[in-house]
Amino acid sequence: MTKSPFRHLRLRDAGTLLGLLLIGGVFAVLTPVFLTAPNLLNILQQSSINACIALGMTLVIISGGIDLSVGPVAALSAVVGAALMVGGAPIAVAVLAALGVGMLCGLMNGVLITLGGLQPFIVTLGGLSLYRALALIFTGGTPIFGLPDGFRALTNGTLLGVPNPVVVVAVLALLAWVVLNKTPLGEYLMAVGGNAEAARISGVPVTLTKLAAYMISGALAAVAALILLGRLGAAEPTMGNLWELDAIAAAAIGGASLMGGRGSIIGTLVGCIILGALRNGLTLMNVQAFYQLLATGIIIIVAMLIDRATAGKEGH
Amino acid sequence: MKHILKTCLLGSAFALSLGIAQAQDLTPLNSDAEPDRMDWSELEARFGPMPETPAGTKVGGVSKTLTNEYWRSLGEGYANVAKAEGLEFVYQAAQSEGDQLGQLSIAENLITQGFAVLLFSPQTDANLIPAVEKAEAAGVPILNVNDAVIPSAKNYVGNVQKGNGVNVAQWFIDNRPDGGKVAVIEGQPGVYAAGQRTAGFTETITAAGNFEVVASVPADWSRELAFNAAATILQQHPDLIGFYANNDGMALGVVEAVKAAGKAEQVAVFGTDGISDAYAAIRAGDLTGTVDSFPVLTGEVALEVALRLLAGQDLPRVVATPQALVTADNVETFATSDMAALRAALLAQ
Repeated sequence: MTKSPFRHLRLRDAGTLLGLLLIGGVFAVLTPVFLTAPNLLNILQQSSINACIALGMTLVIISGGIDLSVGPVAALSAVVGAALMVGGAPIAVAVLAALGVGMLCGLMNGVLITLGGLQPFIVTLGGLSLYRALALIFTGGTPIFGLPDGFRALTNGTLLGVPNPVVVVAVLALLAWVVLNKTPLGEYLMAVGGNAEAARISGVPVTLTKLAAYMISGALAAVAALILLGRLGAAEPTMGNLWELDAIAAAAIGGASLMGGRGSIIGTLVGCIILGALRNGLTLMNVQAFYQLLATGIIIIVAMLIDRATAGKEGH
Repeated sequence: MKHILKTCLLGSAFALSLGIAQAQDLTPLNSDAEPDRMDWSELEARFGPMPETPAGTKVGGVSKTLTNEYWRSLGEGYANVAKAEGLEFVYQAAQSEGDQLGQLSIAENLITQGFAVLLFSPQTDANLIPAVEKAEAAGVPILNVNDAVIPSAKNYVGNVQKGNGVNVAQWFIDNRPDGGKVAVIEGQPGVYAAGQRTAGFTETITAAGNFEVVASVPADWSRELAFNAAATILQQHPDLIGFYANNDGMALGVVEAVKAAGKAEQVAVFGTDGISDAYAAIRAGDLTGTVDSFPVLTGEVALEVALRLLAGQDLPRVVATPQALVTADNVETFATSDMAALRAALLAQ
């Protein structure tokens, strides 16, 4: 019982990875630039923001929920953090405030879902409008420019040639993997998403588990916002438009089940890179954005079909 | 819960300990107010005929989205010049108007491709900043084309956004000497073009003295929202004499609301952009007019400016592109697809 779902995930991850290699192989043949080191780093850097969001989304999806509000949460965190920095607050304070805003939004989602007994889809759909509105009201709709160079240097620097955003997200992914696979919280998330009622009876703190999932998602949205803030040098209240869909797509490609109880950090990461590589490769080949959308749709559906086929083979 | 805190603290502590990047200073660009500017019509007179560009030079354009006719037309203008000059030309755009990161990825991906110059039309003032910085580091010159303004842009080609609103206000002052109540349907709040167009209209018409702007509401570039807003305003102010909408899509929504209220005779409706639907509506007598910014011609002028810059000409930071108020009186003059004829008509203005 404890071993078999774990084995299934690893098999599924191998499948996702194979998909990535396949896509990478095709692009490597079609366009010589694709497989160069700067371009591969480029793909990772471009995927890092989606990956950051998708890590939180994966945990929420595993718990049987969904978080549609990630983009606006990121925007709200960004404008609050930026306003503080431009107002002269120390960078560390502004960063913590932005993270705090993200976690607070997540807490509010979680409280409405657990204690309020509302559906995650509806609560976070409301949050999608609510947090966006707060970001727009807070800024009056105009971007905040003039972030300190000290802050921008954090996201624009590199560590051993790897862009800092990629390093940060890699560390966060490692932490998320540990949380999911090696801690009680990970087991609780799986249990709650698999069957909340059974989990409750067997003594899992269902409410706290769900709260944790949404707060992590909010905090990771804030981290993504901070990364983008540093890269853009400006905070825009319109930041994060449609981020939720990219993150859900990555999690789904990586094998997360929207019914809850199943999902993989490695799979999600590879899913993000697949989406990033696809966009990169098609741009290099000068394929119009409409076809990129088409390719993304096909890959999601193919991934789901493979999912269905492999799940059937294991007989449950 | 501890994990979250640890995660965040570790993440930020990690980030704090890493790398250094360079930054540079440049007066933040305000494309309407920048003093270092010229009009497109003076290009030949001041800088001579187009310089020779080596055949096969690679030029690229990144615009907002091809679901909007404006950006397709702009690309057509780029393609016209690219073909005439024998250049290799690539034109890409994001999936939708709101896809900021997608556009950034596209722009970044093009920078590594050996382009001699890239023309950017960003989704927002900020979303392409990393690409601009990267291009600068790679030595690829960037031209900011209509209508979001990258503050650090070294060169900008586009129309004077404020002029759109001023043109329409002037029509009311000339054609409705008795004055009256007017309303503005604004684009997305916070977007530079929307703010400037509204300001140009409101300032000019208010200065005339006998006009009153009774409502100025955002409809986010949406035809449907504009329809609803206009219907509400008409109920509130049945004696309204005119609407100015920040783009044509919204203006066409307003037209429907005006028709539904049975006030087509009384209320003049103006849009901005000059899309083909607007021309059709002007011919049909539904839309009073639009301020056409001639996207195909703008695209041609933009790429010409890019090639002049490549040839080392020292152009002003801002080159203003053509615009004209189109009404039933002159609609056929400006509806031409013959760019040479259009240039002549505009230069004769």
